[in-house]
Amino acid sequence: MNSGTVCDIRELTLHDGPGLRTTVFLKGCPLRCSWCHNPEAQRSEPQTIEAAGQRRVVGTRYEPAALAALLNRQAPVLREIGGVTFSGGEPLQQGEFLREVIEQLSGLHIVLDTSGNADRTALDRVAARCDLVHYDLKLIDPAMHRRYTGCDNALILANLRHLSEMGIPYVVRVPLIPGVTDTRENLAAIARTVRGLPGLLRVDLLPYNRAAGGKYASLGMSFEPGFDESAEVHIETRPFIEAHIDVHVAGPAGDRTDTGSRDKELR
Amino acid sequence: MKSDRLAAIRRRITEGGYRRNRTTAVPHFLPELDAENLSWPRRASRLIRRMCEAEQPIIEPDERIVFARTVPGVPPIFSQPDWTRLTAGRTLHELGPISNICADWGMVLSQGLAGRRRVAVETLRDMAGDGEAVEFLESAIETIDAVLDLAARYREAADRMGAREVAGILARVPAQPPETLHEALQALRLLHSVVWMGGHYHVGLGRFDQYLWPYLAADLAAGRLTLDTAEELVAEFFLSLNKDSDLYPGVQQGDNGQSLMLGGVRPDGSEGVNELTRIALRAALWTNLIDPKINLRITPQTDLTLLTLASELTRKGLGFPQYSNDAVVIPALVHHGYSLEDARNYTVAACWEFIVPGKGMDVVNIGAVSFPAAVDAAIREGLAAGESFTGILRRTSEDIRKQVSATVESYSRLLLPPAPYYSVVMDGCLERGRDLSAGLRYNNFGIHGAGSSNAADALAAVEQLVFKESSVSPAELIAALDADFEGHPVLRQRLLGEAPKAGNDPEADRLLATLFGYFAEACEAIPDNGRGGRIRPGTGSAMYYVWLSRGAPGDAAPPIGATADGRKKGEFFNANLAPSPNAQVRGPISVLQAFSGIDYQRVCNGGPITMEISDAAFSDAEALGKCAVLVRTFARLGCQQLQLNALNAEKLMDAKAHPERHRNLIVRVWGWSGYFCELAPEYQDHVIQRYQHAL
Repeated sequence: MNSGTVCDIRELTLHDGPGLRTTVFLKGCPLRCSWCHNPEAQRSEPQTIEAAGQRRVVGTRYEPAALAALLNRQAPVLREIGGVTFSGGEPLQQGEFLREVIEQLSGLHIVLDTSGNADRTALDRVAARCDLVHYDLKLIDPAMHRRYTGCDNALILANLRHLSEMGIPYVVRVPLIPGVTDTRENLAAIARTVRGLPGLLRVDLLPYNRAAGGKYASLGMSFEPGFDESAEVHIETRPFIEAHIDVHVAGPAGDRTDTGSRDKELR
Repeated sequence: MKSDRLAAIRRRITEGGYRRNRTTAVPHFLPELDAENLSWPRRASRLIRRMCEAEQPIIEPDERIVFARTVPGVPPIFSQPDWTRLTAGRTLHELGPISNICADWGMVLSQGLAGRRRVAVETLRDMAGDGEAVEFLESAIETIDAVLDLAARYREAADRMGAREVAGILARVPAQPPETLHEALQALRLLHSVVWMGGHYHVGLGRFDQYLWPYLAADLAAGRLTLDTAEELVAEFFLSLNKDSDLYPGVQQGDNGQSLMLGGVRPDGSEGVNELTRIALRAALWTNLIDPKINLRITPQTDLTLLTLASELTRKGLGFPQYSNDAVVIPALVHHGYSLEDARNYTVAACWEFIVPGKGMDVVNIGAVSFPAAVDAAIREGLAAGESFTGILRRTSEDIRKQVSATVESYSRLLLPPAPYYSVVMDGCLERGRDLSAGLRYNNFGIHGAGSSNAADALAAVEQLVFKESSVSPAELIAALDADFEGHPVLRQRLLGEAPKAGNDPEADRLLATLFGYFAEACEAIPDNGRGGRIRPGTGSAMYYVWLSRGAPGDAAPPIGATADGRKKGEFFNANLAPSPNAQVRGPISVLQAFSGIDYQRVCNGGPITMEISDAAFSDAEALGKCAVLVRTFARLGCQQLQLNALNAEKLMDAKAHPERHRNLIVRVWGWSGYFCELAPEYQDHVIQRYQHAL
């Protein structure tokens, strides 16, 4: 049995998929995005957070059965109102653990929230058991991707094509980082990349939130975003609309125009 | 709703415009009362009469519902020596006067004060030989006449200033039964205010949308009102409840018990939600003041559009509506001896306690059980005696039983002062010739249950670390508690971090339910409270979460030291039903599930699950809808009562200054969440700023 490391479990997450969800944040990520808002999920091993005079260990080891039991206790509620989302970190980094957890869940709607930077087998084995995948696409230009996330995007793009052939519905999610990912060129390139891919439900644009750096100090890390945090986020939906791709902007401005389409994804 | 007229009235209220009309001194009636050597009932009715006479009519030209108090207090009706003599050896409930109950406003409106007077006169004729009845009924009639005179003076003042609509309405009500919603609201404003003027407090408004619906329905049918004009009237009535609220006694400003119930079923079991339910919610949304305190009765089937409208009100951050689950409350009241019809007609007292309008003389807050004190004593004594965990549970149960007995015993000599005017607006007092203080159909006592999560956590910690793991010795635990954890930081960290916590762990949740089971047993063991009623255990804490942890005002030292859940001396317990302030919980679903384990059929004095949700969770229509789903989940899980608080900037600023009070405060933005207290200060400021912009 594979035990796994969980960073946090949060209930009533509003933006991690259709309905009201419980989100499991798995610990460990191969990417080092310069805007990362979950820095405590980067390292795989448990670590200590110190803030306001209190220490707290982030990272709890779970056997798959224990995590599944915890989630199954909520199943009667979650089946009615939403489901479970596995996020991170990069959840596929603990692919076997995750697969075992999901296999023991009883009738829950499952969303996988992945960076795509993962072993093909892990993607195959986990995504096949999910109802919906949230697939992050950040930058199409490989050099830019390496510069801002610390790794290449070839695997991510290949996995996206692979996912689109699996028959699992997915949403491509693009964090809009000012001057980095929100450029016209990058958004157009993303639109070209996803255009016509089978299984794509929608593209979600997620405007950067400036509070991202708040947690770094308590982890003994420093936040060096490498871009101008205070710059206005450029929100452009046109490349997607022109490519006949359903596009949605997260946050208050976008959600007001959303007429509950996301809830239709619930079976 | 856009109304410049109402906006002006609202501004006058918030800027203290009505207070400027107040007299500087409170009149004194004591010499007169003493000179005539009046009995207690007659003093109470004379007080009402003189208080009504002392009022100067205040009618602003823009008002359509009038009355504002000008006398800034209620004078005593006995000299201090007489009061001491009268109350010697007796227990007074809080300040003394009857409080925290609800009149049958629907009955009073439907009869009119003239109708109530006729009832009193008839009974007086029938019971002419019964001295007690005669005294009571004559007193009651004096109060009725006083209110009618006050209304007449208001009508004359309205006439003089050419306020013809107001004058016309006051020519009919409150003497005659109203024919329109407008008349009913004006009558209610006056009738309700006079209860306060008699020294009573925590005067509730009951099932507003039920007893006023017939008037609105008639107006709508006749075309006299539209939904919009009706909402404007209701909003004006709500505003009027804030004119005098600074005069009302309570533990804190705003703790005045002007509770108002909406929704639920009718006494015959049919659906009670109507247009007025929604109008009242919208009016409260616009009014955006602390009064009235909106409660909403729901069921697992309540439709999401109503809950979404209610969630909009929650977003305002005032802490209401408070939700009660009919599917749980009604059968529990029946289980406690209420008739099905009356149980279906429940409302809440000042805070959350379930009472029946017009028929309940329940004293729902005679005290509180301290679960942590019971558990602390049991742990210390049980460990010292070398007992098993079962032994500690047995001692806990015994201690709770003693606390309940002592609390009830302290009320065995309860003295409820006569309340002739309040009796007029209750069911059956005038009919039977007996004052409200002699009791009504329901005369139960209620006891709060405070610190339940801290206590369950303490038990869970001992069970796991001392008994199951044997990783902490009894001596080490007791030494650490005695030292308030000074010199025992590692043990405290383990108690806080490793031990199970209610709201996050099924074992701790089970222990919490067990504690309430002991509480229920202790209450059920007392078949009669001395007034023909029972003892109702509750899940609320009121201020006891402070008083039983840090100490009540005047206490020299906290009543309890450090506790085995890792809580240091002087730290608060959980308020109402909530995880301990020291417990980090996953979120609302775990919390609701934790508290759904309580047997609410036996524990039915009320007391809400209290949850704080960042108002980012209410940022848009979709999120509001999801909040509504959460509320429905509360009902579907079989929980009893729920209070949702939206966080606002002020709270966040307090969290920045006092992180120890807000460990669980979560700020959430689209894809991520963080504990507010763990954010660096500059980011805390940023979040605060954002919330300020959002509000």
